[in-house]
Amino acid sequence: MADKEKRRSGVAAPEMPEGKATKSDSDREFLSQAGVGELLRGAILKMVEARSDDPIGFLADHFCHLASMSDRGAGTAGCGDGDQLSNGPLSAGAREQQHLNRALWHLRLAHHSQRSAFSNNVRVAYDLLNLTGPGKHSGETPEGQEGSCTESPTGGGGGGGGEGEGGGVRGSLYTQTLQCLCSEGGVPASTSAPLLRRLHCHDHEAVPYDVFRHGVLTCAVFSDYIRQAQRLYAEVCCPDEGPASRALCLAVLGTLKEALETSQGCDATCCVNANTKANVCLEANVKAIRYLKASAKISPHKLAAAMSGAQTRGPGGNMDAKEFENAAADLFITRVKVVS
Amino acid sequence: MSRFLSSVDEYLGDSHVLFYLSDAVTQLLEHKEEYSQFGVSRYFAEYFSSVKNSNHVLFREFNYITATPHNRSSFIRVFWRCYRQIGKSGELLSVLEFRSLLQLLCPDFPVEMVQSTGRIVLMDDAVDCLMSFSDFIYAFQLQLYYREFLDSVLTIYQDLLAGKSPNTVIVPTSTSVELLPPVATEENDKERQQHDGVEASTLAECVDALCDRFKHSHPSRSSMTEILAEKDKICFYSFLMSLSKHGGVNQDIGALPSMAELLIDPEMDQELDKLVAQIAVSPGSNSSGSAVIGLKEQQRKASPRRNIHHRRKMEVESDGSTEETDSSEN
Repeated sequence: MADKEKRRSGVAAPEMPEGKATKSDSDREFLSQAGVGELLRGAILKMVEARSDDPIGFLADHFCHLASMSDRGAGTAGCGDGDQLSNGPLSAGAREQQHLNRALWHLRLAHHSQRSAFSNNVRVAYDLLNLTGPGKHSGETPEGQEGSCTESPTGGGGGGGGEGEGGGVRGSLYTQTLQCLCSEGGVPASTSAPLLRRLHCHDHEAVPYDVFRHGVLTCAVFSDYIRQAQRLYAEVCCPDEGPASRALCLAVLGTLKEALETSQGCDATCCVNANTKANVCLEANVKAIRYLKASAKISPHKLAAAMSGAQTRGPGGNMDAKEFENAAADLFITRVKVVS
Repeated sequence: MSRFLSSVDEYLGDSHVLFYLSDAVTQLLEHKEEYSQFGVSRYFAEYFSSVKNSNHVLFREFNYITATPHNRSSFIRVFWRCYRQIGKSGELLSVLEFRSLLQLLCPDFPVEMVQSTGRIVLMDDAVDCLMSFSDFIYAFQLQLYYREFLDSVLTIYQDLLAGKSPNTVIVPTSTSVELLPPVATEENDKERQQHDGVEASTLAECVDALCDRFKHSHPSRSSMTEILAEKDKICFYSFLMSLSKHGGVNQDIGALPSMAELLIDPEMDQELDKLVAQIAVSPGSNSSGSAVIGLKEQQRKASPRRNIHHRRKMEVESDGSTEETDSSEN
């Protein structure tokens, strides 16, 4: 490491007489010319931020991404500042797809429960998606438009320079991101459709960061929720005996609903907005108490009681996995704020 | 999740990332003319992609290969991919022949390690004997991957043999005291004792204590306990041989498939069938031999000095047909 540091430190005179230049001096010069120090520093910082499970894979992807960006540029080394206006061979559509893939990759890195890492990744993904298409958004952000998703554009404004930094992510890209997140999270399209209806923005709208983040977080939590619901159904129903009894399922769903209602007001999906630091402690306490109450309602003991109660009385018939999943999804979705 | 709780140093240390970055820069400086024409980002991208795909150890020096666990398992895997056809042909090779094969992949591979591997397979007996590919590769895997651990266990074993009381709480029973010969021993006694070995339970306790304080990686305690519970007395090389054949140990290392699947390689079989068909046109030639030699020729062409793109091409060619199956295994 120390050796590398030595190499990374910049060299004063670019024109060194051949005879006098020692090997390490010319090495240092070469490295600083190629910008290796900055490149590696950036890579290490990103890696430590993301703390991916697979650091080597992360670095490989990171450098591949940089390399492909600089290939599309003038082919100069170390060009990593996202200059999107260069006339690359890729069409706008393909470029967009590439950005979408990259953004999704970033969003997958950290679980949403790891708030700061997840937030960082959301920011990176947002910036990536923001860069698609020169001049599409600059100066065009619909401020007074009806039914638009935007509040006034957050500071990402392109300043009319047409450098590709719009006032927000394009609505269609945003919707696509959410769709991919849900499907990757194992949620079938039909289940996620009502959620997406609540969250989506029109294709032409520019989505500001807050909305983007809210949407992404909601989808991430929703995927987890649906997976848990699927697992819950698997517990309730014995696969050999066919679909589970309706009464049992309703009882389980009822308990779930109660728990969610108790936690209402905290809105499990809302992020702690960094701007509202006032009374954070008090709020946090109240929230914590509500969450504890909610989790008590869904404790195994309560659930078992509800289930045994349901077995003796309640509607007959069976409920299959799909219906259970949809009902559980419904409980969640009714709590999601509609993006307007 | 625990990676968030560990400090930055721990996170970086566990993955040996700084080592790879340092090596990447060193390689870049040694071959700057070749590598920098494609751009530095592209160079790092290729370097780390090859690390990820376990292709990075090919033709590198021994120190690099043994530097990280990932490098060691990658090398074992590369050896397997390159030479499994030898296993299929059923050829038995000597220690020196295996060493030559290793040197094709790693020019400065030391003979001592191959000899140690030979001792495991042949139970320290007649080290000139021939070995099967399957026996060799599993023993080689153990020797390479757990080199430091095996050295420590050997020291412990030799101490136990010499009658020294190990640094653990072991109360020597009367029987074991009887069996341990006095210091001034006759040649015959020593040899007999070496064949008999030591008390397996004693060794198990010592090995367990070693694992407590051992910094490098070691085989799982459960597999070692399992092996040592099977017999009353055990000698060092039979212990290692059992370890090398243990399925759990193999799985933990993750470089090789199970013994049953070691020689399965349908793509290469097809390739070789084609080659054999071509070669068989000229009568009197040893078809399987020249096929293997053909493989070796391909590998010898690529060297780290060549242009990076050529090198990639050669790597893909030399294990190209096996790439499909292996990428899913990776």
